Formats: sequence, structure tokens, C-alpha cells
Amino acid sequence: MDNFQKKFLEEASDLISRLEQSLLELEQNMNDPDLVDGVFRIMHSLKGGGGMFGFENVSNYTHKLENLYDLVRQKKLKVNREILDITFESADHITSMLNDDGSQTSQIVANEAILQRRIDAILSGKPSEKEEVGHIVETTTDSDEVVATYYIKVKPFESIQNNGTNPFFLIDELVGLGPHKVNVFYNGIPDLENFVFDKTYISWEIILATEQGEQAIQDVFIFVEDDCEVKVEKIADADIFKFDGIEPLLQCQHDFSFDIAKIKSLAETTISLEKAKKEQNKLENAGDEHIKKFSRESTISGIRVDSEKIDTLMNLVSELITTQAGLNLYAENNKSPELISIAESLENISRQLRDTAFSITLIPIDYLVMRFRRLIRDLSREVGKEIAFEARGAETELDKTLIEGITEPLMHILRNSIDHGIETAEERVAKGKNPEGKIILQAYYSGSQVVIAVTDDGKGMDLAKIRKKAIDKGLIKPDAQLSAKETTDLIFVPGFSTSDKVTSISGRGVGMDVVKRKVSDIRGTVSVSTEKDEGTTITIKLPLTLSIIDGMLVRIYDTDYIIPLSVIDTIFAVEHEKIKSAYNNIINIEGVQYPFYYLREEFGIEEDIPEKEEIIMVKYEDKRIGIVVDSITGEYQAVLKPLGKLYRQQDIFSGASILGDGTVALVLDTHKVINQFTKYNEI
Amino acid sequence: MAKTILIVDDSESIREVVNFTLQNAGFDVIAAGNGKEAQVFLDGRNIDLVITDLHMPEMDGIELIKYIRATAGYARVPILFLTTESQLAKKIEAKDAGATGWIIKPFVPAKLLAAIGKVIR
Amino acid sequence: METDSYISFKLGEEFFAISVSKVLNIQQVVKITKVPTAPEYMKGVINLRGTVLPIIDIRMKFGMEPIEYKRDTVILVLNVQINNETVDTGILVDSVKEVFEITKEELLPPPGMGAKYKNKFIEAMYKTNDEQFVMILDIDKVFSSEDLVILQETADSEEGAKAEKIE
Repeated sequence: MDNFQKKFLEEASDLISRLEQSLLELEQNMNDPDLVDGVFRIMHSLKGGGGMFGFENVSNYTHKLENLYDLVRQKKLKVNREILDITFESADHITSMLNDDGSQTSQIVANEAILQRRIDAILSGKPSEKEEVGHIVETTTDSDEVVATYYIKVKPFESIQNNGTNPFFLIDELVGLGPHKVNVFYNGIPDLENFVFDKTYISWEIILATEQGEQAIQDVFIFVEDDCEVKVEKIADADIFKFDGIEPLLQCQHDFSFDIAKIKSLAETTISLEKAKKEQNKLENAGDEHIKKFSRESTISGIRVDSEKIDTLMNLVSELITTQAGLNLYAENNKSPELISIAESLENISRQLRDTAFSITLIPIDYLVMRFRRLIRDLSREVGKEIAFEARGAETELDKTLIEGITEPLMHILRNSIDHGIETAEERVAKGKNPEGKIILQAYYSGSQVVIAVTDDGKGMDLAKIRKKAIDKGLIKPDAQLSAKETTDLIFVPGFSTSDKVTSISGRGVGMDVVKRKVSDIRGTVSVSTEKDEGTTITIKLPLTLSIIDGMLVRIYDTDYIIPLSVIDTIFAVEHEKIKSAYNNIINIEGVQYPFYYLREEFGIEEDIPEKEEIIMVKYEDKRIGIVVDSITGEYQAVLKPLGKLYRQQDIFSGASILGDGTVALVLDTHKVINQFTKYNEI
Repeated sequence: MAKTILIVDDSESIREVVNFTLQNAGFDVIAAGNGKEAQVFLDGRNIDLVITDLHMPEMDGIELIKYIRATAGYARVPILFLTTESQLAKKIEAKDAGATGWIIKPFVPAKLLAAIGKVIR
Repeated sequence: METDSYISFKLGEEFFAISVSKVLNIQQVVKITKVPTAPEYMKGVINLRGTVLPIIDIRMKFGMEPIEYKRDTVILVLNVQINNETVDTGILVDSVKEVFEITKEELLPPPGMGAKYKNKFIEAMYKTNDEQFVMILDIDKVFSSEDLVILQETADSEEGAKAEKIE
């Protein structure tokens, strides 16, 4: 609608300059009815457009002026100096309403009150039936009317079609309101010699049940109130079409009226019977109601389950899904349609079971926040700093295992902020900061990840100091060229600790490297951004869940790999020749240049290179990067198993999964694949 | 076959919003800025419905309705006019002139389409 | 008399033993999924009743030729302590010989200087009835070592290598 609004604004400013022009002319000739008409028309247009394009205030105001000029048009009022002055000022007033960006609203309201009083003064001096100056009447619809049954008799005048009305459309519209029965009366049709083609001789009787109320029925005939007889009578406060024994009474028998008396009496009896039944049930159920209410109240917050039981449940679900994969494979190999169909429906159920079981293991981060609040209060008191703690998105839910895994790293990050990040109140005041420091913990979902960021408004990290320390510790060469990010990343290097002195809080030797290791144990990543005197943000990104992923099963030589579906954009088949001849690991597919990684090369696999290979485009930040594999096996629901501590160095694999045939497939972390191999070939 | 609707209004923004709503609802729409323009469109075209504003320069809505009713082939074509709540008194005059029904401004698309639904299918 | 149980196995032509308390079970060789980019002695992973078990070619760790899969080749599934963490690991051995019980008195001290293997990995030695020397491994230390190969790195190891037999 924005375009319409713009158009209206252009048009409105045009109307206002025309209004001013007319007023100048009117000033010269105060009794010219054409000029009065002109002003009235402009008001009318402004009012209509204002209402439609979101300027209700303009619409409401011009409505008042329109009333004023309507009285002039009806010769109940004469144009005078005051009316002209008000109208001139109104032109300015409307202009400022149209141009208001919200900054002048209060001024406009005040101005309007003054103008209003002046208009009222003129109107009150005149006897007028239009005392209800002001509001546009809103048409109210009774939305919560209860269902009722109506008897409607429609007898159009013979001439109803003269104005382009088609009475059949109206009956159509009427029966659209609910269940209905219609009787048509043809007995008004005259003999052929007296028959006039475009006259209407038919009439109708309708029984209609609707919850839209009598007004809705009347509204159907709004255009033809004067062109037909419409009788509406409510016959029951219920939908009689649902009543037993009503059918025979509602037989359509054209030219004969419904037996309304019988219908009414049946309805009355049925309604009173139902009422009595309800009363009795209520008495009988009174006890039950109590129990129901009680049990609702006691289950509403859920049940507590021993976390060991949840672990068992999750393990069983994982095993079920692995077994499922075995069944699928067996069914496919046996080519039995029945078995395949059973396997498929079972897979459907396991998926749902998996999702439900998962949701059970999710815990809101709030669970941690409560513990942190206390920690921060106690620690800040201990170091004599004033620190406010705020948690945002605490309702964000995380896998129970992740919550357990993230607690210690977060605790450590918070301790760092309290100890090293936030300055003392005196230091802060000297810097012109609020003496009270602030730590914000923020959690939110981002794609298939959960992001947890801890931000403090402290002194930030001193890059020069980090650099010096890294040189002192022999982590970097004294002449090393490092970007700001590379410098801050040094804090994650084992053995690095930024604190000069040992404090009881963060101590020495337990640095951010521990945080990084703990976070990567649960397949997460951690990054830091810092600004001198502005503060530091540590961001942890975690996978949504640890144990089951929807993946694409692919193959290279004799090994199966799984790539999470969530990172896959598209897949293209590509000739090996094209890969081999690609310059600088850039391949052109359908006119687009993609950087790619040839996993066979990165993995050192040279056996049995296929002629046709598959290039999987994975999402990497805002880019699409190809990963080349031999072949695609298909989608696969993988239960993720840790690859084990011995393979900690091989972090391009986020884990492994056991396939239906009992062999192991490796789950690729494409982000890490790209990061790792990019060191050698810059994208 | 899509029904053809002639919309007559001197306000370009109203014409546009009506046009937009009706075209989206599957109607063919012809738009005229005043009664005189509308007269031109009536000739040689199969118009299924006319929607006109009442207050317009040159030739106002009531006159236009009378003109349409007097035009050969338009005796039974439904005509809806646009009006505001406060001008409902006008509706008797308009109906006497031959209008089928009316649409109260301001309106939302659903209201416009509901009114049209009463007169054409 | 207090005895301890050991399981003895063959790597190449030499005999080693590990305390039975460290061995979870003996597993036939199944398809091993290679984990690319890992050192060569880390053969890959297998599915052991639903868990993923890393498989180590212990021969390579001892500086021998990589294992050849034969009829007798088996995987010993061990429970090892690596830097205070318990890890289940499979090692490939050429064959399992026997489980034997010996008293502390029967154990011989590890070989001294000049031995082929760094003696911190050898807990003790034992001489079988058929005059065969068996090296009892401290498997936790073997795995905790960052060394790729746990042969003696110094000149000693060369001497040791020359002296084909330890005795």
C-alpha cells in the first residue's frame, strides 16, 4: 500500500492548493454556490482518501469541516469571515497532519482542539440535526453471536430488476450464511399473455441457521430495502438442522409454506430437553469436574523425570533409529513392497518419536541464568565492583547435554568479565561511563545453531598487551604480522592468560584455551570481539542438538560420509575431467564460479577415481562452496556418535554414525573442512 | 470470461486502490477520472458493472447514473456508487436515478468485494 | 599366592602381554572406516555394538611394518587411561596367544638401557616355559605418549635395533 499512500500524499497536496485557490475566490464572492460546492468536494476527497490510506486524523478532521460546508450548501449557514479563516487554517492543519513524522503530533493535537472549538462555536449557533459532529461511525459486527435459526420471507417487487439488481444473487448470498432450506414460490407467475420478461414474479421462503445474527441477514438486502418485502423472524436459539425429527418438517415443497408453527414447537421441545439433560449431566459430573480441574492444575507445569531415564530414552531412540536404518536396507535389498511400506511407516513413527524425545531433553537457558545471577552478585561484591547482569532470550532451549557442557565455559567467561573486563566504579567514572558495569548474556537461535553471547561494557582487551604477552610466552615471533582478530584469537591459545596478577576468581593458567576446548567438545565454536574502553563480547555457537542429524549420505572410494542437510544448497554432477582441469580450485557451473574442495585430493585417496563425480554446494557464510565426492547415496537420518578422543585432532569430522549394514560413516563438518583446507588454498 | 468493471472517480488514489483490488480479484478494470470520460468508455464496450463516486467535477455521480441508465444496453447493468457514512441520505437520490447499491468509504478490499458480490457473479 | 592374569599376543615375531583387567574383549576384524587426515597408525573406526571404536595399528606405533590382515589377526578391545580420561580403543594384533596367570615373583624387571623400546612403556618381562620372553606393556603409558613411535629415539635405539633379540 505504500505506493498508494505516496500517490495519495501527492494528490492531497494538490487538493490543498486547490482548496486555497477556491477559498481566495470564495472570499471575493461569498455566496457563490459553485465555489462552496468546490470546497465541499475537496473536503470530501481528503476525507475519503485519508481514511483509506492511513490518515484517519485527516479523515476525522475533514469530516467536521465537511459538515460545516454541508450546512452552507443546504443554506442553513452563510459563509463568513470566521468560516473562511477556519478553513484557511484548516488547510495548514491538514498539511501538517499529512507531513507529520510523529515529531509534531502533540502540537497538531493541540491545534486541532482549538480549531475544533471554533467550528463547534459556529455549529452551536445554528439549529442543526447534525449535532453529532466528530466521529466516523464504525460499523460494528457482532462476532460472537450464537447460532440461531431464522425464518426469512423474501418477496421482491415486480420491478426489482430495474436497477440492475439480480434477486437470485441475493438469495445465493443469504444461503451462504449457514445451513438452510429454501422454498420457491412460482405461483405469482402470470399467464403467458400477461408475462413481462424483465419483471420478477418469484418469491422465497428460507429457513436459515447462522451465527452471524439478524443484522447480517438484513445486510444482504441492504440495496433493495425499498424494492422488496423482507421478513426475518428468529424461530430458535439453536441450529435446528441438528435436531432429531426435523427432516420431515423441512422437506422442500415449492409453492407451499414451511409449517413454521410445527418447526417452532419441535425446536422448543428439543431445546428444553437438551437443557434438562445438561443440568443433569452437570450434577453428575460435578465430582468429575473437580478431579479434572485438579489434575489439570497438577500436570500443567509438567512432570519431573529422573535425567537418567531421559538418557536411557535417548539411547533407546538412537538405537531404534540405527535399527530402523538396518530394516530399511534389508527391505530395499529384498525388494518386497510390503516390507518397504512397513519400513517406511515405521520410519515415520521413529522420526516423530525422535523429535518428541528430543524436545523432552531441551532445557531453557534460564536454568543457567538463575545460577549465574547469584554468581555475578557474589563475585562482583568480592572484587568491589558494581555490576548489573541482564539475560536476554533466556527462554532459548538447549539440549540437556549441551547445557551441562556449556555451564563451565560460560562461568569462566563471566568470571573473566567481572575480574578483568569491568572496571572499578572510580575508573568507570573517570572514563565518563556509568559507575555500574553491565554484563549481558544473550541467547538466540540462528539456523541450526544456538548462539550464546556474553557482552560486557568494560575496558575491552588491550591488543598491545596481548601481543606482548604472546611474544613473551613464545607463542608468536616478535616480528609476526597479526590482524586485530588474529591478535585477539591468541587468547584461545593454550597457556595464554591475560591477567597480570593471580586472583581468586579466574586464577592463573586456566585461560580461554580451556573455554575453547570445552566448547569444541560439544561441537561448538567460540569467538571474541573487543573494543578498547567499549567492552568485550564472547560468542559461543553451538549445534542445536548433539545426537541426531538429517544428513546426506555420500561416498568417496570405500568410505561413507554424511553431510548435514542443513548446510547443503545444491548438488551437481560433474565430469572428473572438469575437476581435474579446474584452475585454482574454481569451477564454473551453469555460468557461476564456485570455489571447491576436492576431498579425494585433501584426503589423499587416489584409487578408482570415477569419471563422473558429484559436487555438493554447501553454505559457508554467505558463499556457496563446492565439496566433491564420488557419489550420492541418499538422505540419511544419522545418529551422531562421538569419534572419540583419539580423533580430537580430526575436527573436520563432527562424529560418526553407524549405517544400516553395521559399518561406520563419518559425519563431515563442512565449515571446518573449508576452514582447514582454506589455509592452503585461499578462497 | 472475466467481468469488466468501470470505475469512475476523480481521485487517482481511489482509482488505483480500487483498480488494484479488483484486478487482484480477477476482474478487468477500466478507470475514468470523471463522468465525461466514463461516457466515452460506455460506447462499444461490454461493461458488467459501474462503480462511481458521487462528488466529481464536470459531471457528478447522480447525473452519470441517469446517463448510464438512459444509454442503450445499460438499463440492467448494476451500478454501485461510492459514498461516505454522512452522505447516506444521498442514496435515495442515487437509487431513484437508477443505482443498484453503494459502497461506503473508507473501505477495505473485502468490503468492496462483498458489495460487488451482491450484484455480479 | 597372589597371581595376576595377562593376555599375551604376537606383534610380528615378538610377544607382548597386557593385564586382563585392561582387555574388554577380543573382536574379529571387520571393515574399518578410515578417518582421513589422521596419522597412519590410526587405522580408523569400527562399530562395536553401537559405539564407535577407534582402531590402532600398534605395530606401527612400535616401529614395525604396518599390519597385514591374516586369518589370525584380531582386535583387542582395551580400556585405557589417556591423560586421566578413560577411552575404549581397539588394537590390531597378529594373533592372540594365551591368557596366563603369574605371581609377582615370576615377573622380571624391564630391560635396562640399550633395550629396543623405551622402558617406560614396559611394565615388566616374563619368560615362558618355552623360553620365550614376553614384554608386559603399560598400555596407559603407550597411549598417553605423544610420540608417534615409541622406539628409543637415541643412539640406544639403533643399537637395540641391531640386536634383533632383546636377550
